[in-house]
Amino acid sequence: MSPVVLIRGVAAVGDLHGDLLKSKQALRLAGLIDSQDRWSGGSSTLVQVGDVLDRGGQELKILYFLEKLKRQAVKVGGNVITMNGNHEIMNIDRNFFCVHPSGLDEFQNWAGWFSTGNNMKQLCDGLQKPKDLYDGIPSTFPGIKQQYMNGFRARIAALRPQGPIATRFLSKNLTVLVVGESVFVHGGILPEHVDYGLERINEDVRDWITGSRETVSSDLVRTRNSLLWLRKFSNETAEDCDCSLLEHALSTIPGARRMIMGHTIQRGGINGACNNRAIRIDVGMSQGCINGLPEVLEISEDSGLRILTSNPSDHQNRHDLLIPEQHGPREVEVQA
Amino acid sequence: MGQDQSKAVDSPADPKTEESSSPSAHNSPPSMESLLAEATAFGNEDANASLEAKAQKALECPCIQNLRSGPCGSQFSAAFLCFLKSTAEEKGSDCVQPFVALQSCIQTNPNAFPKEVLENDEAETQEKPSEDYKIIPPRWAVEPTTSPKTKL
Repeated sequence: MSPVVLIRGVAAVGDLHGDLLKSKQALRLAGLIDSQDRWSGGSSTLVQVGDVLDRGGQELKILYFLEKLKRQAVKVGGNVITMNGNHEIMNIDRNFFCVHPSGLDEFQNWAGWFSTGNNMKQLCDGLQKPKDLYDGIPSTFPGIKQQYMNGFRARIAALRPQGPIATRFLSKNLTVLVVGESVFVHGGILPEHVDYGLERINEDVRDWITGSRETVSSDLVRTRNSLLWLRKFSNETAEDCDCSLLEHALSTIPGARRMIMGHTIQRGGINGACNNRAIRIDVGMSQGCINGLPEVLEISEDSGLRILTSNPSDHQNRHDLLIPEQHGPREVEVQA
Repeated sequence: MGQDQSKAVDSPADPKTEESSSPSAHNSPPSMESLLAEATAFGNEDANASLEAKAQKALECPCIQNLRSGPCGSQFSAAFLCFLKSTAEEKGSDCVQPFVALQSCIQTNPNAFPKEVLENDEAETQEKPSEDYKIIPPRWAVEPTTSPKTKL
């Protein structure tokens, strides 16, 4: 069956957590990449709602891959938008609680080559001398097994504010995104977040990562009710969601009709709550999570919603998501 | 959203990070881009010279002679030459093989491009980082305590 590509539509994928293989499977099933891993999504927009980091060992590979896809997509009128999840902020904060051992290996390997590159640059006459990658980082941490010390130092160096990986990738992430009638955020948005200002939120987080700001408010990115940790609209038991609060939040964002969130694993796959005003797209696809079957949410130009799934026994129990809000979803069959 | 030019080589095997044709490069301070430009421009006033000739000439720039010497000098030269001559859409993306050869050489010769010890280095390493520089580690990385009571 050839993949259906949505022209000028939006595709959204949830938490990837360091699993490159599953990430590519998700993008392939949505027709966004071809068998050579090149962008094949035309002028569609892909939104990844955060949590690339932690739980897996291919975090850097995913970051580079999404960046490359973005370059390819932009050339043909498409786009790839990456967003911050709570795990991005945790790592910038040196909270490595959910790091996988293979994640330390990947960063340690990266740091070795990055340092080699810096050494080479120092040998070039006239070139600005690069700053020491580990500047200001202690050589040891109490209570940590010695064999992991270099891995943690590498991860700190890469991901701290102004670190090379934080700068190149994480500072380009949005924290809140509005596309048409859809609001994208990792955890969820409350009215007080909207009051603060959505653009202001994006700027605050970005400026913190690039070092223009010393701190970013914990109420935005760290506390239980923050944008990146909220689960009030993501309860797997849809009836337990606080729908009136969701409605209130949506009503304060002009034109917003639904909120699309990752962060809370939905064991039954992508689904909607609160009359499909809350769409939950984290399927825990990473091997480090529940190794869930990859799924991608599709929003067509006329706001038709569709779940693209690899689940062979999907009986379309969630077909209520497929009822278009205006016309039928326009499908365009494209040869892969 | 433009991609800022990486200010450093993240991986020598990925020449894509050094696109000198990136439109967003103009905001960066003088760094890799200007080095590439300097080498490329070295002695190349004749616009009609073949790409091969221009690339060879660029290799002779004094700015990179240190990299062309030592145990991995020839691998560096081959990789850099390939990059200069590359007409791929993402410049250098067809140079994976010589860059991997350079990486392999560096792995075999860890001191191929040694870190320059600058006068200031000694003074800087004496500075102790602040004592509250903490991390939250994963459970598997924590040194077991001798206490019999453990929750792990």
